[in-house]
Amino acid sequence: MNGVQITSLSIGLILAATIIYLLRRDHLHGPYALWWLSMAVVTALVGAFPGAIDWIANALDIGYPPALAFVLAIALMLVKMLTMDIERTRQELLLRRLAQRLAMLDEEIKERNRGE
Amino acid sequence: MSKPIHSYTLMRDQLAIVIPARNEAPTVAAVVARVRAASAAQVIVVNDSSTDDTAAQARSAGATVLTLPVQLGAWGATQTGLRFAIRHGARAVLTMDADGQHHADAIATLLATQETTQADLVIGSAPERLSRPKRIARLYFRLIAGLEVRDFTSGFRLYSARAARLLCFRHATLFDYQDLGVLMLLKNYGLRVVEAKVSMSERNHGMSRVFSSWAHVARYMLLTTLVCMARAGRARRPA
Repeated sequence: MNGVQITSLSIGLILAATIIYLLRRDHLHGPYALWWLSMAVVTALVGAFPGAIDWIANALDIGYPPALAFVLAIALMLVKMLTMDIERTRQELLLRRLAQRLAMLDEEIKERNRGE
Repeated sequence: MSKPIHSYTLMRDQLAIVIPARNEAPTVAAVVARVRAASAAQVIVVNDSSTDDTAAQARSAGATVLTLPVQLGAWGATQTGLRFAIRHGARAVLTMDADGQHHADAIATLLATQETTQADLVIGSAPERLSRPKRIARLYFRLIAGLEVRDFTSGFRLYSARAARLLCFRHATLFDYQDLGVLMLLKNYGLRVVEAKVSMSERNHGMSRVFSSWAHVARYMLLTTLVCMARAGRARRPA
């Protein structure tokens, strides 16, 4: 095992361990947990076998293998950010509807109490 | 004799008047009092998480007050009032601002216009009052959205039950402003919008939140252009 491999393996394992720790502490749930668990596995694997990137890049005729890693990472981040904003929009809608409903029910309960 | 469980039965098949208000304590009581003097309709003040005593002022003037737990903005507050009015069977819903710029005696003008035109939305408009940026915005929106409404930002409006019901749904909840999104939604469903000329006062205090600075205007134009892009050409079957 050479120096590069030790560095990449430790980065991969630290990331994976952090994610699994957060999962176990219920800081990530449902679909997010699944996504981040996959990311933990991927970072650990890439960390353990950095040569895999070179091998895939060669198979795809990519002259500069690190470019493949960067492009894939950026693409995944963009997808993740997009789905985050979609989710945020859904939650904003939910929050607004709930706030409106709360305002209506609150007044109805008060009015009922006034009527008694 | 048993009292009805709540006084909202007064709203059934009647007009309801919705006044969204955020920190309008200096004016809201007078506005509610003038409206109540001019109309027998139930007045609903939607208190958009005010930090002053808007709610108490409105209640003391005889309004039903709905208090939002988080600030939803003018349209979010207005939609709350529409939902409440429709939920209790209102026949039509009139909205007006809490700062006193809309006159209670013009309510009759809007009602008469709806009577004669049978439009689903009557906008009380004072186009001569439009500022320069608003005029430019209006031309621009007419170009990209095909909307003929002149005073598109006016919050003095009379909605039919059909229009109000349509605007209660979730798809109208994420609008950030009450103007273009609402107008395009109604247009897409084939509802008729007309304008009635009314006189309006200068705002008693405060100023237009949207057209207060160029940064705001830019933000508003961008967001509203997005709304137009999202809604343009999405004709629906009449609701």
